[in-house]
Formats: sequence, structure tokens, C-alpha cells
Amino acid sequence: MEMVKYTPFFLLCIILIVSLVVGMLTRRQDSGGYGIQVRSIGHASIGAAIASNWMSAASFLGIAGVFFLNGYFAFAYILGWTGGYVLLLVLMGSQLRRFGKYTAPDFVEARYESPVARVFSAVITIVISVIYCVAQYKGLGLIFAWMFGIDYTQALVFGILITLVYLLIAGALRAARNQQVHYLILILSFVIPLMLIAKKLGYNWLVPQFSYGSALKDLPAQISNDYLFPWTFGSPYEWIALCFTLMVGTAGLPHVLSRFYTVPNNRDARWGVVWGLFFIGLLYWSAPAFGAFAQNWLVRSGTVLDPEAARAIADIIVIKVAEWVGLNEIFVSILAIGGVMAAISTITGLLVSGAGAISYDIYYRLVNPNANERHLLLVAKVSTLLLAGLVLVIAVNPPGLIAQITAVAFALAGNTLFPVFLLGIWWDRTNKYGAIAGMTVGTIVTFAPLLVGHLFPMLRAILPPTSSALIGAPLVILTMIFVSRFTPPPAEHVRRFLVDKVHSP
Amino acid sequence: MPQADEQPASRREDLRVNFFRPRAGFMRKEVTIIWITLIAWATMTFGMPIHLALTHTDPAATLAEVPYIFGIPAYFWFSGQFLILWFIFLCFFFNVLIDWLTTSSRKRR
Repeated sequence: MEMVKYTPFFLLCIILIVSLVVGMLTRRQDSGGYGIQVRSIGHASIGAAIASNWMSAASFLGIAGVFFLNGYFAFAYILGWTGGYVLLLVLMGSQLRRFGKYTAPDFVEARYESPVARVFSAVITIVISVIYCVAQYKGLGLIFAWMFGIDYTQALVFGILITLVYLLIAGALRAARNQQVHYLILILSFVIPLMLIAKKLGYNWLVPQFSYGSALKDLPAQISNDYLFPWTFGSPYEWIALCFTLMVGTAGLPHVLSRFYTVPNNRDARWGVVWGLFFIGLLYWSAPAFGAFAQNWLVRSGTVLDPEAARAIADIIVIKVAEWVGLNEIFVSILAIGGVMAAISTITGLLVSGAGAISYDIYYRLVNPNANERHLLLVAKVSTLLLAGLVLVIAVNPPGLIAQITAVAFALAGNTLFPVFLLGIWWDRTNKYGAIAGMTVGTIVTFAPLLVGHLFPMLRAILPPTSSALIGAPLVILTMIFVSRFTPPPAEHVRRFLVDKVHSP
Repeated sequence: MPQADEQPASRREDLRVNFFRPRAGFMRKEVTIIWITLIAWATMTFGMPIHLALTHTDPAATLAEVPYIFGIPAYFWFSGQFLILWFIFLCFFFNVLIDWLTTSSRKRR
């Protein structure tokens, strides 16, 4: 059994307490409710909030892991998760804000005037939250297992307890998250150790984002070629399908869309995206370097990992490589804490939004319309516990790498919510029948390869579970157009609202 | 959102919202800007992998033939570094044009 690492644990406690205190101060400065900042802040500040909201364990831990295993193929994740912001900005950002509905179910009900479509979209939102949470918990479990020298399952339970306690205390203190401070903690805890790793290995430490290329070139020819050649670890179709899926998934992800409403006006939201992409880019320019330096160290030290062992440590390779090169314990701890903070902040956000969808969109709208606020709060708390329990059950046997699990959530968003938003905004003729049919087809396309893919290998090849939206999203859009064409059009006031409000300056 | 469907007959004439057949005026100009941005986005993002897939299938030959930037193959640098910058530029470009369009449309109104 491994030793408990006290330094990261104490640092983690300090960081969590500091973030709660900063959160309380942030709450006092804000005049708006629901933890949404409404005071006027600069575009860079909005961008930092977008980046902070975006950075999860998938970005902090997952990308480096995929690069460590699959080299160039990891760029499909990086470009998918950044290029999606372009799609979101140009196709939907301003229009959704003018529409004025803050959640996916609210938008669906207002646009399509259908309680069924609303509940359907709420269920999809909850499923996306659960899948996303599984990936985050895997990261949390691996880091706590490393930190305390305990079994992964025990670490997972500990991680769930920590997040629930953090959520409880933050709720009791009404502490809002200071997004800018959070971003600063994450990016510094990622980049500074990376620079030190580059220095230890003798590469340019000022810009490790560039010098990792030299680390790859220094590998033996066969390994170097595998990492540099684009199609060693996946075909062009797989690369393009994954990249496209993550792009449309990003543009359809509920918690990404909600960022457009947490700033004072439309223009600020648009310009915030430019800064947000830059801040996210800082992380994504750096992440592959961890994987490259890890491979470089393995070759130098003569360590040979079999594929299974490499896969087992891939998701915490950012921490492992810092340990391998002999970085000071403080800096290794800082990396681990960055990963924990990224996972915890994402999990708490997802659990709260998932529980909100259950209590309001399902319980209040379907089961008990007479429920009062106190009753709904109780339902939300119970839902949070149930969701955490469900996530625990799935995360005990994680079905893939952190980035791969997260990609399935993006595939679901890209196959369902993205087409519903897109056509809802850009084609007045889309109606509730089309939306329901589209979400049904999108759900089938997303889960069929996972559920029956082993029976039909061809299906899995055409629709890889992480990359199904290349075919799925266009198919859903065609389904929505076809069904809407043969069913009655939406009400006139909806179409007039689109013309007068959504598509006017 | 307004609930009343009762509108004068003259206003019922054109409620069309269609990305491929945008209404004249603000929407048509906005869609033109979107198309330009989307084409620039798609060409650069998917153009390189499609070009690589069509022209390079042998790892050793590929790595011997392609140009290098910062010690790594150009396509590698293009995907890992440049395209993120390109996305930032596209968002910047789009915002500048939309700001201009919004201001000029509001003045006209």
C-alpha cells in the first residue's frame, strides 16, 4: 500500500477554504441573484469566467492522457472543444440571448410550445450531466487514490463525499464561485509545473508549448513517427468525426450556452468568447506537452509500459510525469490540486443543474404542479444525492478515458440539443413534432452503438460512440425538417417573435 | 414571449426565417457574415486532415516529405497551435463585422 501524501491534502484543504471565503466575498459584491454576476465587468474578465466554467477534468487531465496514448489524434479533442465555440458564437449565441430563455428546457418549451418536448430535453440535460459527471469523478477518484494511497473505488466514494460536503457548505454560506480567481488558480497550477518539467528534461522551459515538439523528435524514430504521423492511432474518418462531434456538442451543451446570459449584454457576451477562447487555448496549447514529456522520460529512463499499464495511468499522466522527472513535491501537489479543483467545480455545477432539471422540469411540471418552493428545494437536494449515487455506480467501472467519456456527453448534446436549437432559431417552420422526432432519432443514434454495437460491429465503425454526430446531427436535422414539413406549422406568435426579436439587431 | 396570435393582415405576409433564404436587410447581411466565417472555419479545420488523408498514407515518407516548423511537421504545428489562434481570429473578425452591422442597422431604424 502506498503512503499518504500529506502535502497535497493540506494544500487542497487550504485552497478549498480560500475558494469558499473568496466566494462569500464575491456574493456580497454581486447585486444579482442565482449566483449570476450582473455587474459590468471587462471582456477579459468575462472570458476568464467562460474559460473557468469550461475547464473540467477532461481538459485538465484528459487531453494530456489522450496525447500520451494517441499522439496527433488528441488534436481532434482540442480542435473540437475550441472550434465549437466558433459555431456557437456565429450560429446561436446572439440569437439565443435575444430569445431570452436561460436553460435548454425553457427554450424548448417556449419555442416549440410542447411540454413533452420540454421534458424530453430536460431528461437529455440530466443524462448529459450524469455522463459528464462520471468522467469528472473518474479524474477525482484517480487523484485521490494517488494522494491517499487507497483503492480507486474507496477514493471515488471519498471524492463524492468531498464534493457533497463542499456543495453543502457553499450552499449554506451562499458562496458564489469567483470565476476569474478560479481560472487563475487552474491555469497557473497547470503551466508553472509544465515549465519546470521542461526545464528538468533540458528543453526550452519558457515556452514548453513549442519545445515539446523537440521532445517528440528526440524519441527513437519508430515511436516518434507514430506520434507525429496523423493516422497511426485512428483513421481520417475517425479524426474528422470526433472533431465535428465535439464541435456541435460544444455548441449544444447546456452549461456552455448558459454563459451567454451571465453577462450584462449581447455584445459583452460575444467579445467575452474571444477572450474565453484565448484563455482556453492557453490550457490546450500546453496539455499535449505533458504527454510528450512523459513519453520522452519513459524512453530516457528505459521504462517500458505495456499498453494496459499506459492506459491505466494516462488520465493522471500530468501528475505522473511531474513525479517521474523529480519535481518538488509542492509543484506535484499543485498539479493534483488543479485537477481536483477543475473536477469539483464542474461536478458541483452539473449536479446542481441536473437536480434543478429534475425538481423543476420533471417534478414540478409533471408530477406536482402545486409544490411550493420549500418542497422543490427538498426534491432538488434528494435529486442531488440520487444523481451522485448513480454517478458513483457508473464511475466504479469507467467505460473509457476521461476525455472519451466526456465525448459521449458531447455526442448526445450534438445529436439532440444542437439541432433543436439550430433549427429552432434558423427555420421558423420547425415545430414540436419535428423537435420530438429529432431528439428521439438523436438519442437512438447516440446510444445504439453503445448498446448494440457489439452485435453489429459495422454500426460501431460508422457511428463510434464518441463521434456519432458527424452522421447523427445531419440525420437529426433532416428528420426534423421532414417531420415538420408534414405536420402543422408553429403558432404565428412564435414565428413573429423569431422575426421581430430574435433576428433583429 | 407574446401570447396573442391576433395580428393585422398586413403583418402576416412574411414571417419567414430561413438560413438558406434569409430576409432582406439585417438578416441577409448577418447570414452573409455567418457564411463567410463558417467557410473559413470549415476549410481550415477539415481541409488539412482531408488533404493529409488524400496525399499521405505512409508515415516514414510523410515525415520525410513535409515541411517542418519549430522542429515539428507543419501539419502538426498547424493543428496543435495555429488552428486555435485561427478560431480566436475568426471570433474577433465575426464580432467586428456584427458590431458594424448592428450599429448601422440601428441607425437606419
